[in-house]
Formats: sequence, C-alpha cells, structure tokens
Amino acid sequence: MFGLAVRRALWAIPVLWIVATVTFLLVRVVPGGPFDAEKNLPPKIVANIKAKYHLDRPVLEQYWLYMERLARGDLGVSYKYVNRTVNDILADALPVSAQLGSLALLIAVMIGVPLGTLSAVKRGSLTDWTAMLLSTAGISVPNFVIGAVLILVFGIWLKILPVALWESFRHMLLPSLTLSFSPAAYLARLTRASVLEVTEKDWVRTARSKGLSSGQTVLKHVLRNALVPVATVLGPLTAILITGSFVVEYIYAVPGMGRFFITAVTNRDYDLIMGTTLVFAVILIVANTVVDIAYNFLDPKMQVKS
Amino acid sequence: MSSEIEQLSIEPLPEPQEYVATRRRQGPLLEAWRRLRRIPTAWAALWVIASLFAVAFLSWAGIPLTPYSYDQTSAAILSSPTWAHLMGTDELGRDLLTRVIYGSRLSISIGLTTALVAFVIGTIYGASAGFCGGKMDSLLMRGVDIAYSLPDLLVMILVGVLIGRGTLGILIALGLVSWMGTARLVRAQLLQLQHEEFIEAARSTGQGSLALITKHLLPNALGPIIVALTFTVPSAILSESTLSFIGLGLSPPACSWGTLASEGWRALRTHPHLILFPSFFIFLTVLSFNFLGDGLRDALDPRTRIKS
Repeated sequence: MFGLAVRRALWAIPVLWIVATVTFLLVRVVPGGPFDAEKNLPPKIVANIKAKYHLDRPVLEQYWLYMERLARGDLGVSYKYVNRTVNDILADALPVSAQLGSLALLIAVMIGVPLGTLSAVKRGSLTDWTAMLLSTAGISVPNFVIGAVLILVFGIWLKILPVALWESFRHMLLPSLTLSFSPAAYLARLTRASVLEVTEKDWVRTARSKGLSSGQTVLKHVLRNALVPVATVLGPLTAILITGSFVVEYIYAVPGMGRFFITAVTNRDYDLIMGTTLVFAVILIVANTVVDIAYNFLDPKMQVKS
Repeated sequence: MSSEIEQLSIEPLPEPQEYVATRRRQGPLLEAWRRLRRIPTAWAALWVIASLFAVAFLSWAGIPLTPYSYDQTSAAILSSPTWAHLMGTDELGRDLLTRVIYGSRLSISIGLTTALVAFVIGTIYGASAGFCGGKMDSLLMRGVDIAYSLPDLLVMILVGVLIGRGTLGILIALGLVSWMGTARLVRAQLLQLQHEEFIEAARSTGQGSLALITKHLLPNALGPIIVALTFTVPSAILSESTLSFIGLGLSPPACSWGTLASEGWRALRTHPHLILFPSFFIFLTVLSFNFLGDGLRDALDPRTRIKS
C-alpha cells in the first residue's frame, strides 16, 4: 500500500507538468491580453507594464521563467489585484472553498446514503419510486436553478437566510445546500444500486436465515459491504463539487477558488488562471489517489491481487 | 425458426440460458425495445423527448408555433405570464415562450452533437486501446487519465474562450471533455470481449483487424455504448447552460436555454418567471434523458434479461 502511494505521488508530477504546460499555452493563445482593457493608457505605459511582467518576451522564455518560479513554489503575481501574489489569493480562497465543499459533502452523505439504502431495502415500493424520482431529478437540475429557487424561497420570500457573502455559519447554509444537491442525488442512486447488489449475495440470505432481523442484516451485513464502492466515488464526487463550486460561488458571491478562477479568466489574469488550475488539478489527483488506496484497503480481494 | 430446430437437434438437452441466447440472437434490438416499453419512466421520457424534438424541428423548419417571432418586441415589457404571453415577456418585451422554443433548437442540437462527437472520438480511441493492448493501451489510457485530472468546466472555459464563445467554440469545448468516458467504456468492453469464443472463431476465419473490430467487437459492445451516449446528451445540455449562465459560454444574441436563464437571473428578485421557465425546460430535457438512459441500461443489460 505504501508502494502504491509513492508510485501515485510520483506519477502526479508529470501529470501536473503537462497540465501546467497545456494551461500555460492555452491562456497565451487565447485572444486578448491582461492589459487590453486599459485603452486610455498611453502605449508607452502599457509597454512598461508588459515589460514589468515579462509579457514582452517570447512565449518560450516566459514559459521558462514561469516554470522556474513554479519549481520554487512561487505562483506569481496577480495583474488585477495589484499587490497580491497568487499564493496570497489562493491561501485566502482555498480554505473558503474547502469549507464550502466539505460542508456540502457532509450534507450530501447524510442525505444520499440513507435515502439510497431506504430505497433499496424497500425495492419496488412507493418509497423506492419516490426516492429514485427525487434523486434522478436531483442529478438533472442545474446548480444555478437550485440556487435561484433557494434564494427565492429563503432569501426573498421568507427572508430568513442571507443570500450572499461568506461571513458566518448562516451565510454558509444556502451555498452548501445548493452545492450538496447533485452529489446527494448521485450518492443516493449509487448506494441503492450497491445495496441491491449486495442484498442478492448468499451470505445475506445466511444472515437472515440464522434469525437476524432485516434491520440488523442491513446494518451489519449489507451496508458494511455495500458502502465499499460508495466510498470509492470520492474522485468523481470531488469533480462534481469543484464544477458546482464555480456556479455556487458565482451566485452567492463567495470569495472562493471558483469565483477567482472565473474573474481571472475574464480578466486574462494569466498567473492567477495558472495557479487556480494547478490547485484544482492537485485536489483532483489527491482525491483519485486516496480512492485508489482506499479501494485496496477496503476490498480484501484487491489486496490479494496486487 | 428452422435454425432453432437445427440447433436443438444437434444439442439434445439445451440449457435454459442457451435457449435465451438463441432467442436473443434473433432480435436483440426488438427485445430491448419491448423491455423498454415496460418501464414507465423510460417510456414517458421517450415521449417527452420526442415532443421536444418535434417542437425544435418545427421551429427550425420555420413553422410558427406562437403568434410572435423570437425577436419581436411588444409594448408588454416584463409582463408576467398572461393569456397573450403564456410565459410572460422579457425586458425588451419579447415573448418568452417563443424564445424558449427558439432556444430549444440550440440546446438540443448541442446535446446531440456532443454525443455524436463523444461517440466518434471515444469509440476510435477506446477501440484502438482495447484492441492493441499492451504498451499502446497503457499509453493511451494514461492520456485519458490526464484528461480526466482536469475539471471539465475549467477545460471548457479555457477552450471556449480560445476558439471564441460562438456555437462552434462551445461544441468543440464540450466534445473535448465528453469523449473520455466513452473511450474507457469501449476499451473495457473490447478487452472483455476479446477472450470470448466467438471472437476467437471470427479471428480463425482469417478476418482483418478492422473487420474484427467493426463487425464483431463493436456490435457486441453497442448496448453499453448507447447507454453512455444517452447520458452524454443531458450532461452536455447541463454544461452548456452552466457555462452560459456564468457568462463564459454562449452570449446573446445566441439564444439557448442557458443564455435565457442567464438573462433571467438578473431579474430574479422582481421577475422570477424569466429564469424559472427556461430552467424548467433544461430540467425536463435532462431528466427525460436520464430516465431514458436508466431504462435503456436495464433493457439492454443481458444480466437482467436472463434473470427475468
């Protein structure tokens, strides 16, 4: 298991390098530069600004300079938020997004897993049907629609929750609820499928026939096994959460990574785009690695094989 | 029927499962279709999708479905739903129902085109990896891993901005992030099928690799591929609307459900109908495709077929 972790960590280095290179080239071939909007500035000053950030050099030289700094852990400076380094901005934004993401994940697990289990246990019943209708609806609603409805109901009609900013726990409720919606639905569908598969196993019948109640069987024999595949979807779940965070942070004006990424793209703030992209890539790689290791750890059959 | 009798005479005691397999060979699509019709959600979803397609097609063919044209303004500005304007009007006095119908063309065609692109790229890529195997396979699959390690929306935003935020740019961006799933699936299917006896038999008749892939391997992997593509359509529609919503996808005058919802967002407090109606159609379409995908998966899955 330790060997696997090391292999995965080493594999992450070339992946990150490729991600950095592709993003670097992408942002530079995108039409429009970071200082195009300042039309009223004399050309001399624009040239000076570009020289200051080495944007007047050939792309290959810029690439070399960037990679050199990146190797030292320096992500550069933001062109728009003057006086702030990208490291600074990310150090502020990452905890906010992490808070939002983990709260949403918590809500999603607390709703999704019980709903899916209930649905599978009562297979074919009205409960099952309703739960699956709800969860299919859940993966079909765009985040911004959930956001709009929640804002309308709780923010505008009932006026009980704040609809923007990130200041107290009350501010976190609507954004995390919005973000948790599709992962919860995804988890419910997955848990149901997984529980159904385990229920058909011989040893579940054995457990029932030795006199365990159906509740005990589900808790002790079914769920413990059915949650193995569920625990390993952390990778896709993280991807869903990151994608969702773009919209949710945009809607609720949450000062997190997703919102900084969107403004950075709009402003062509090269280093900030690079920095956020790399952090997102690291998060995804870590999530997928944890999944791979967890899979080995949770499923004894996999251990024998490797 | 006669082939069945012949087989019976060769094999005096057929196993029940073999009998099912024989029947399946006679018409797998027909049987899947029959099974699909028995799933109420999938069947309803198919009808909804057919109606939405019909409306989009009629609109595309220039047949007026409402008394207004999509950019025709009227004196009723920001009107709530009334009998004259069933979904109300926007801030320029344009009829929202007409615009939602007009937007369905773009939203639906974006979904279908993306599925087609994912099918073509994913199948070629996955089939190459699965068929070649060995070093080639692991190299190609590492490529998929790298493509997966970037958040979809991020790639779409960067590529979309690069090519331009027109329809073509969005289509290329969506295509670029949608093929990996199909590629992985096709590869896995091929790896599994290659060890089947009928592939060995086909190989022993001296058929070339391409014929083997197109005539024997892919047709047998078609079920899961169709299911995956059915799920590609809604995710493309969702992605497009999300991109347009955060202002990095299509922008007016292009008219899709996403741009309509994005315009409606700005009037959420005062005129929620502007975001709710386009959103409802995004939801309805995506939901229908998801139900259809679930139904197709159950209908095409050979395991559930043998069980029932």
